[in-house]
Amino acid sequence: MSAFAIIVGVILPPVTFVVFVAAMLSRFWTWKKLPQPGMTLFPTSPKGTAAGVLKETLLFPSLFRSDRFLWAVSWLFHAMLALIILGHLRVMTDFPWLWNALHIDANTMSAVVGGAAGVMILLMLILLTVRRVVTTRVREISSPGDYFAVFLILAIVLTGNAMRFVGHFDLAASRQYFASLVTLQWPMVPENGWFLAHLFLAQVLLIYIPFSKIMHFGGVFFTQAALRRG
Amino acid sequence: MEASSRPQVVPEINEIPKPPERETVIKAIEAIENGPATLRVYMEICAKCGTCAEQCPTYYGSPEKARNPAARSDIIRSIYKRQKTIGGKLLGDLAGAHDYTEGEINEWVNSFYECTACRRCATFCPFGIDNSVITRKGRAIIHSLGLTPKRLLDITAISLATGNTDGCGKEGFEEAIKFLEEEIEEECGTRVSIPLDVEGADYLYVPPSGDVLVNPEATMAVAKIFHKLGLSWTMSSRYFDGANYGLFTGDDAAMKEENKHYCEEAKRLGVKHMMCGECGHAYRIFKFMMEKGKWWGELPFEVINVLPFTARLIKEGAIKVDKSKNPEPVTYHDPCNFGRSCNIVEEPREILRAACEDYREMTPSGTDNWCCGGGGGLAAMDDFREFRMTVSGKKKMEQVRDTGAKVVATACANCKRQITQLMEHYEMDDVRVGGVHDLVYTSIVM
Repeated sequence: MSAFAIIVGVILPPVTFVVFVAAMLSRFWTWKKLPQPGMTLFPTSPKGTAAGVLKETLLFPSLFRSDRFLWAVSWLFHAMLALIILGHLRVMTDFPWLWNALHIDANTMSAVVGGAAGVMILLMLILLTVRRVVTTRVREISSPGDYFAVFLILAIVLTGNAMRFVGHFDLAASRQYFASLVTLQWPMVPENGWFLAHLFLAQVLLIYIPFSKIMHFGGVFFTQAALRRG
Repeated sequence: MEASSRPQVVPEINEIPKPPERETVIKAIEAIENGPATLRVYMEICAKCGTCAEQCPTYYGSPEKARNPAARSDIIRSIYKRQKTIGGKLLGDLAGAHDYTEGEINEWVNSFYECTACRRCATFCPFGIDNSVITRKGRAIIHSLGLTPKRLLDITAISLATGNTDGCGKEGFEEAIKFLEEEIEEECGTRVSIPLDVEGADYLYVPPSGDVLVNPEATMAVAKIFHKLGLSWTMSSRYFDGANYGLFTGDDAAMKEENKHYCEEAKRLGVKHMMCGECGHAYRIFKFMMEKGKWWGELPFEVINVLPFTARLIKEGAIKVDKSKNPEPVTYHDPCNFGRSCNIVEEPREILRAACEDYREMTPSGTDNWCCGGGGGLAAMDDFREFRMTVSGKKKMEQVRDTGAKVVATACANCKRQITQLMEHYEMDDVRVGGVHDLVYTSIVM
């Protein structure tokens, strides 16, 4: 194995895992234990709070009322992201019982749904970036950090798509690799350039998330709930 | 006489030593680490999507970076990042962090007082970020350095000294009340009393002082309603003004001190209900901070508001209103602190639909309503008049104009002042501005 493969595929993963889990837990824990007086914006009952937060985090209705274009692009972006994260489970292991129960040919479904999601998320990312650059009210509040997050995800999407569309990707080898990682055995890292680049960037993202604005995916539950609690 | 032979007048030195600026700012911002939870989360999750700017009355009137809500909040966020986040410490500007330099506080005064704290951005922000909380934090820091605009300091001081923001004494108030009683009698031929300082009354009515001293129709309407119902009620001759400017200056100590007087007065009088008048921020403080936040523990009285009170009486038929007395087109401006902050949206509309022949909605309205441009205490400040007219109030003027209404009813003394001035500024002289209960006063069947 190359030195890069060992660094990215063997040494980095446990570091990423520990940093990501520890930092995320500490983030949520801090937010949860901090004092919070009532905010009284749309004060409502606990049940109404739960319903409001769920609706807000799943469908982005506030954004829908405010900016239809941004709503469509960002909702599609997040929906594709969720789909892709789910799809990655197949790269790590397989669920033959599920495919049998549903009478689905997993390979065909992965090619169609996964392929479409990969292209769609790329398109949405480009639209979001263009919007950030051309819309004055967004450009004037953007810092290098905002562009870094977008370009990092863009690079991850591009290398991911390359594995599907450019070269051949060995599913069996990657499942073997993740199985050894999880069982703490010395793994055989697939020597695929796209794969290694993708794996590296994804880990950079995972380490970056707890310290960045990408935490909005967790923080939004706290803020939206606080707004509704009377 | 020779100048030198004059007795030397030594000016008394009692200047309060100014706290060290940079240290004060940094300490206050570092404290965000320990809450409130939402403020801390606001420091960390803003995705800079630009949605708030699109919904901000100030940015609408003048779309420039200094007036972009996210940029305003970044004043504090960037310093927090610099002090408290790994990225900010290591990467500085690249991570959107900023190191505070002496003197910046003077620019803060304009920035944080150009936000009307209307919370419209918070209702549209996909991440639920309420920029008004950050604005209030900024104002609190400004206050701790003694830089709060003088007009607001004066109002707070007057209110703490006299119990009301107009500085009206007991005699002046009693005289004003007597005058209102005579007015009512002259107008409808019935003697309607406005009881003062009655111990054991069921209701203590706490309007904004303007509803007694400037636009008293609302208070007269309430007097008529209680007269019709035969309920026992009272006003306090010392504490008759719910307005509390500590909310606007970020001065929590003053806000609580002011509030405590009212709580104690209600306890002393032994009332069952403290009924707030047409003043959104007062009701928000009394109901959601004092009562629900248990500032003074469990209370022997309940905080209620006059808008739901009257709306219910009309719906139940306990009082009757005659539409034909208010024939002109009327629209309702939702004060930010009633609509967005207290969810009192339908009740004023129920009253107006019953009491007026031609009720019209602004678009948008309710919790989505645009701020009058005078929120957060701005309406009281004449230094900000030009800004309020040409920038923060521009959208409100357009909204009123588009309804074609001849009467703007609203339930906030500051909104009334701001919209009245807007109508003057934009030469919409045929539009009248008043309270919701003003229209009850003219239409209630005695």
